[in-house]
Amino acid sequence: MDGGKFFGAFRACSGIKDAVTLTHVPVGCNWGAAMFKSTSNQPDIRQACTVMHEREIVFGGEEALREALVRADTLYNTPLLAVVAGDAPAIIGDDVEAVIDSVALNKEVVWMDAAGFKGTMREGYEDALVHLARLMEERNVIKNSVNLIGFCPDDFKVDADIKEITRLLNHAGVKVNCVISNCSFDEFVNAPAAELNVVMGQGTELVEHMKKDFGVPYLEVGYPYGLEGTKEFTNTICEHLGIGYDAEQEFDLEHFKRIYLYLHELYGTPVSVIGDFHAEPMTGFLDSELGFDIEVLASLEDDYFIFQQNVRDSNTTILFGSSFERNITEELKIPLVRFIYPVFDHVCVYEDAPYAGFRGAVYLTETILNAVMGFETKEIK
Amino acid sequence: MRKFCVYGKGGIGKSTVVSNIAAALAEDGKTVMVMGCDPKSDMTRNLIGKRIPTVLDVFRAKGPDEMKLEEVIFKGFNGIYCVEAGGPEPGVGGAGRGVVTAADMLDRLGAFNNLEPDVVIYDVLGDVVCGGFAMPLRKGLADDVYIVTTCDPMAIYAANNISKGIKRFADRGEVSLGGLIHNGRSVVDEPSIIESFATRLGAKVMGRLPMSELISRAEIRHKTVLEYAPNSEIADMFRGLALSIYLNEDRIVPKPLSDDELDEINEEIDVLMRNKETKEAV
Repeated sequence: MDGGKFFGAFRACSGIKDAVTLTHVPVGCNWGAAMFKSTSNQPDIRQACTVMHEREIVFGGEEALREALVRADTLYNTPLLAVVAGDAPAIIGDDVEAVIDSVALNKEVVWMDAAGFKGTMREGYEDALVHLARLMEERNVIKNSVNLIGFCPDDFKVDADIKEITRLLNHAGVKVNCVISNCSFDEFVNAPAAELNVVMGQGTELVEHMKKDFGVPYLEVGYPYGLEGTKEFTNTICEHLGIGYDAEQEFDLEHFKRIYLYLHELYGTPVSVIGDFHAEPMTGFLDSELGFDIEVLASLEDDYFIFQQNVRDSNTTILFGSSFERNITEELKIPLVRFIYPVFDHVCVYEDAPYAGFRGAVYLTETILNAVMGFETKEIK
Repeated sequence: MRKFCVYGKGGIGKSTVVSNIAAALAEDGKTVMVMGCDPKSDMTRNLIGKRIPTVLDVFRAKGPDEMKLEEVIFKGFNGIYCVEAGGPEPGVGGAGRGVVTAADMLDRLGAFNNLEPDVVIYDVLGDVVCGGFAMPLRKGLADDVYIVTTCDPMAIYAANNISKGIKRFADRGEVSLGGLIHNGRSVVDEPSIIESFATRLGAKVMGRLPMSELISRAEIRHKTVLEYAPNSEIADMFRGLALSIYLNEDRIVPKPLSDDELDEINEEIDVLMRNKETKEAV
C-alpha cells in the first residue's frame, strides 16, 4: 500500500518546518495529506490548498492556483512556498509553472509535478528533495558534521528518534547540521556545510545531487534500531569521519535484565513485518536481538492482498506495521506494533520515548511486551 | 422517448444535420430537445438565431446548487428545446469532463422528466477523444448513434475511429450504431464509397445530403434550411432523413475497419480523384 508520488512529495516539503506547503489538488487529497500529518503535531498547520472542485476540473485550475498562491503568500509569514501539484492538474494539463511565473510573490517558490499515478511515494520524496535542493547554497564545511537524510515530519516517533540519534552522534563528537526533511528553511539552505550526508533508506537522489553540486560525500546506513543496529550506525559514521569512537561503550543492558524472564519467554515468537525502508532494520533487531522468528517480511510495494494472505497462513502472533494493518490484526486477534507511516490511531508526543538508538531499543522492547500482554494466546499451528 | 446522437469529424456538418432534422421532427409535431456537446457551443445557433448561455457557463457562474433549468434550456425554431453543454477555453481544463458534468447537471435539474421530450438529439464533438466525449454513448443516454461522413479519406478515418468507440459500448449493450449519414460536400463525392465503407462496418446509409447553396445561405442567417427555404428540395431531404432515423430500428455493433481495409477505400477514392482530374483536363 503505497501512497503514490503526491504523498511522498508532500511529506518531503512539509518537513521544511517554517515553509508552507500549497497543494494543488482536489479536496480529498488535501484532507488525506493533512489527516496523516495531524495526529501528533496538531498546531502545525502550514498547509494551504487550491481545493479543486468540479469547476476547476472542467475549466482548469490555473485561476484557483493563482488565487491560492497570492493568499498563501499573504497569510503565512514563511520564507518558502512549496507547491505540490497532484493528479488532477496533471490530467487536465494545468500550466503550473506559467501561473507561478505570472504572480509576484514575497517568498521563494518551489513547485513539483507530483501526480500520484506518476510514481511511488518514495519517488515523490526523492523528486521533491531534488527540486528543493536548488535552494541550497555553497558553504564552508563544518568539521565532523553530518546531515541526516530520509526522515519525514509525520514518521511515527520522528521527533523522539531524531533527538536520540542526535544525542548519540553528539556523544560521539559528531554535529548534526541538518535533518532532512525535518528542519528549518535556513538549515536546509545551509545543508552543504555538512562534512558527510548520512542517508537512511530514502533521499539517495538528493545526496547524489549534493555530491555533484557541493562535493558532499554520502554514506548509506540502515535505520538505527536495536543495540547492534545503533552501534553499527554510529560506528560507521564515526569511522567515515575519522573519529575513533566505539558506540559499544554505551551499551546498557540493565533495563533488559529487569525483564529477562519475559524476554526469555518470547524467544522464538513468530512475527511478521511490513514497511518501507524501516522494515529491514526493524527485522534485524527483532530477529538478532529479541530472537523472534520472522514469518513474513513485506515491503509497501508488494501486493497487499498477498501479504495479508501470507500472514493469515503463517504462525504470526505479532504484526509490525502501520495503522493500515489494524484490520488484519483485529481479524487475527494479534497485537499490532505501529512503527511506520502512517500512524493515525496512536499519538507520540513524548520526545524521550524513541524507537531508534540505544534508548529506543529499550522503549521498543517495552512497547512490544506491553502489546503482547493482555492478548489471548494464539495457538501455534 | 427516442434518443440518438450524431458524431463525425470536426467541420463535417453534424450541427447542420442535427439542427435540420430537429426542425423537421418538430415540424412533424414532436417535442424535440437538442443538446450540443462541443465546447464550441454553436450547434443551436441555427435554431435560436444566436448563441445561448451554456450549462457550464451557468455552472461556473452560479455553482451547481443555484442553477435553474430555465437558465440553460431555451426554446428555438418550431419550439425545439436547445441546450449547449459548453466547455473550457481551448487549451485549458478538461472538456471531456465538462460533457459529463453538463449531462449530470441537466439530469439533476430534471430536464428530461419535466419537459418530457419525444426526441432527444445529442450533437457531439468530432472524435471520441476521451471518456468524457463518449458520455452520450453510456448510461443509456442514447439508443443509437449516427455518424456523418463525406467521401473524404480523413472523414472516413474519423468515422471508423468513432465506430471503435461505439463498438466498445455496443459490446456492453449500452448503445449501438444506427447508420451513416452521407454528406455530399467533398472534392469527390461518390455514393459507392460510402456504401462500401458502410457495408464493411455492417451499417446502413440512412440518407445522402447533396452539396447545396441553400444550406450555406441559411447558415449565414443562423437558420435551418427548414426555416429559410421550407419548400426546397434539400429541406425535403432533411425531412426524409429525420423520419428514417426516427423510425429506424436496425441497430448494429459496428465492425471497425483495419488499416488495410481503410487503405483499400482510400485507393478507390484516389482512382475517382484521378478520373475527375482527367475529365476536367479533357
